[in-house]
Amino acid sequence: MTTQRVLCVAEKPAIAKAVAQHLSGGSFQTIAIRGNQYVKNYVFDFNFGGPWGTCSVTMTSVIGHLTGLDFERQYRTWLSCPPSALFEAPVHESVADDKVAIAKNIQEQARRCKALFIWTDCDREGEHIGTEIRKQAKEGNARIVIKRARFSNTEKAHVLHAARSLIELDDLQANAVAARIELDLRIGAAFTRLQTLQLKPLSAALQDTIISYGSCQFPTLGFVVDRYLRVKNFKPETFWGIKVMHTRDDIKVNFLWKRVHLFDRAAVTVMLERCLMAKKAKVTKVTQKPTSKWRPLPLTTVDLQMMGSRYLRMDSQTIMKVAEALYTKGFISYPRTETDQFDKGIDLKKLVEKQLPDGNWGQYARNLLDGAFKTPRSGRHNDQAHPPIHPICWVAPTALTADEKKVYEFVVRRFLACCSEDAKGQSTEVEIQYGDEFFHAKGLLVLERNYLDVYVYDKWESSQQLPNFQMGEMFEPTEAKIFDGKTTPPNYLTEPELIGLMDANGIGTDATMAEHIAKIKERQYVAVHSRGSGRNAVKELIPTRLGIALVEGYDNVFAGIPDSPSLSKPFLRKEMELRMREICAGRRTRQQVVQESLDMYREVFVHTQRRINRLKDACRKYLNEQETS
Amino acid sequence: MTSNPHQQITTHLLTTKSLPVSPTWLTTFLASTTTSTSRTIPLSALTQTALFRILTSDIRDSLSTTNPSTLLPVDIFDPTIQERRLNGPIPLQVLDIEDIGTSLWSQVEAIERVERGEAIRGREIVRTVNVGEDSEAAAAENNNNNNAAGGGGGGGGGDSNGTHRLILQDAAGTRAVGLEFARVNGIGLGKLAIGAKVIVRDVTVARGLVMLTPESCVVLGGKIEGLDVQWREGRKERLLERINGGV
Repeated sequence: MTTQRVLCVAEKPAIAKAVAQHLSGGSFQTIAIRGNQYVKNYVFDFNFGGPWGTCSVTMTSVIGHLTGLDFERQYRTWLSCPPSALFEAPVHESVADDKVAIAKNIQEQARRCKALFIWTDCDREGEHIGTEIRKQAKEGNARIVIKRARFSNTEKAHVLHAARSLIELDDLQANAVAARIELDLRIGAAFTRLQTLQLKPLSAALQDTIISYGSCQFPTLGFVVDRYLRVKNFKPETFWGIKVMHTRDDIKVNFLWKRVHLFDRAAVTVMLERCLMAKKAKVTKVTQKPTSKWRPLPLTTVDLQMMGSRYLRMDSQTIMKVAEALYTKGFISYPRTETDQFDKGIDLKKLVEKQLPDGNWGQYARNLLDGAFKTPRSGRHNDQAHPPIHPICWVAPTALTADEKKVYEFVVRRFLACCSEDAKGQSTEVEIQYGDEFFHAKGLLVLERNYLDVYVYDKWESSQQLPNFQMGEMFEPTEAKIFDGKTTPPNYLTEPELIGLMDANGIGTDATMAEHIAKIKERQYVAVHSRGSGRNAVKELIPTRLGIALVEGYDNVFAGIPDSPSLSKPFLRKEMELRMREICAGRRTRQQVVQESLDMYREVFVHTQRRINRLKDACRKYLNEQETS
Repeated sequence: MTSNPHQQITTHLLTTKSLPVSPTWLTTFLASTTTSTSRTIPLSALTQTALFRILTSDIRDSLSTTNPSTLLPVDIFDPTIQERRLNGPIPLQVLDIEDIGTSLWSQVEAIERVERGEAIRGREIVRTVNVGEDSEAAAAENNNNNNAAGGGGGGGGGDSNGTHRLILQDAAGTRAVGLEFARVNGIGLGKLAIGAKVIVRDVTVARGLVMLTPESCVVLGGKIEGLDVQWREGRKERLLERINGGV
């Protein structure tokens, strides 16, 4: 009996190689393919078990999407048709020029194989790439059997298990991506052409630019501009409050006013007078209770990007690139996940054990195994595809680049923190009534640091300790006086905040948010400025004049049209994203969703065309200012 | 007539609501109700209608000014008087309400959000990270802030600690400033309309400020439609003027 031939295709060359290494046990033959220097074919034997048995395997890969969607040739140039025609113009899918060799390799290999096992990443995009691979394979061999491997990291046992429990490709998810691709193409091209053609002649500064539109880009820009305007328009105001201080046992206790502060000086003056008239304050509450600072939840992509850009001083796109590299090398699990709960089946202690060799946190891991281990808290999200991001194995710091080291360290520390006990402390609160007013003081004593010892990114420290106060006790405070202050503007938006806003408003997926942010920087709608210096420097996003002009322009275009929110707002995109999810759930078809979304945006497009002068006015306003200033 | 509705309504409103009805106003009221409908309206219904009308009227027309204990002293503003007590009960109407726990600017921002239709449509734009589902989670997570990226600048108006300043007016037209010293049910922006009626009794006045507390102040409600509309329409303008005037 001859062994069956099987073709395996991964999403990236590095994954193909890693999987080939595990399946072959390290001995495989590497064959270059014609026309592409990155993609290789790895040939070896492997026993897939079940109906497949031992097969002769060719493992290869694509490099991301194989095909692209574009308009028919006659619609492709800027002036070929009115931009509105792009909502209906025929489109077709074709293999991108630089991917032809890869597609051909798959066709050729498929011809000789009985089955195709797809090893693309297990997310929506991966599912769609899987269908692209399937299409090429079927062109080579119409009767080829198609299966898919489900895996979320490239650790050996996991990969072997995936190879022996193959599943089917999920066409619903692939359809959602196909719908997204078509909508992005049509809507993006129509608006980009419209605004570029209309706005370009307005200013010399726009001569050589494309003023692109994207349904995620614009709401992302909208958040940045919105915050910017809030900062710019801000008016400081004076407020007043009452500060009560009492010295006891040589400790100066500052009591905070329950009203915090008021914007009416006369009222505060009268309130203070009535405190002083009362002479003595009465202790109305003394509470002492155990408190804890909870260990973090298991790590999701959004959290990695937010925490990463806060603590690791890297932008979200860089973090994701580094995390992917770590994943591809098999050091961490798949970094695109919404899941913040660990599956019961996963052996967490074994993962902790892998960290024992580390010079920094090895001892901490040892303590966990010696009894301090706690089952991680469970969040409320589960994408049913990937576990939370966690380390797969230990890696010597010398084997990593500086950036990789930082991200890997964060992932490990976060993971160990998840498996630790909460930090414990004791809080004391004293409340007093002074005249008619209430004041309180709080003290915190940290008793056990627990997870904080490994999770160096969180701060929780003991505050000043309160002296003894008895319930019902009367005393005359050492000092009571009025203080004043001024309100301050919010800060400009930072990248972690922006990611939080995008996440909460359904702009992009955890996988694409970083790209959208990078895009609005690249288009020079937004610039990055540093506030502060050294270790405390914070990177802030500030819109350019063009960025402000576009948002203000579109807001003006849609002003007074109750049913059409501006393109700078997240509403339309959010709806589209919900529809994508409905495709995945099988509640709607791809065609329905494409049609509905196009109808929605077409209406918006008509409004924009009709009131294009408002957009132009905004651009003139900001860009001409720039020339004269 | 077997009984005198004029007398009965007057007594009822005074004893149950502390409202001294103006005899002239009541006569007009009774005349209008008895001519327009049949004479068989039960007295209780008539009293209810009278109360409703008073709550939506200007008390300078509808209430009597003959008993000085139902009026504010005319020197109520005097800041040199450290403390005095008014026994009342004094019916007053609200001419202005302000939240002095919140900055004017954040109130303007809140108004603008509503103007943009973001709140009206009910499709919230989440402006800080800790909103909606996430804020519940954050709250539930107690002091754990691992999942939050420090919110930006706080929301507008929602974080008020509930100290309101009111301009109040009595039946004779004397005005006073009321300050919500302790939280009073019914006092709040959006809850208390302009022209709403309140009764104060045994209330302390310190340096000309009427100290409103749940013990000393009861909100009867109501409004003066014209004034209320005007107040709401002009509110943003007034806030902006005060911000720019540096008040």
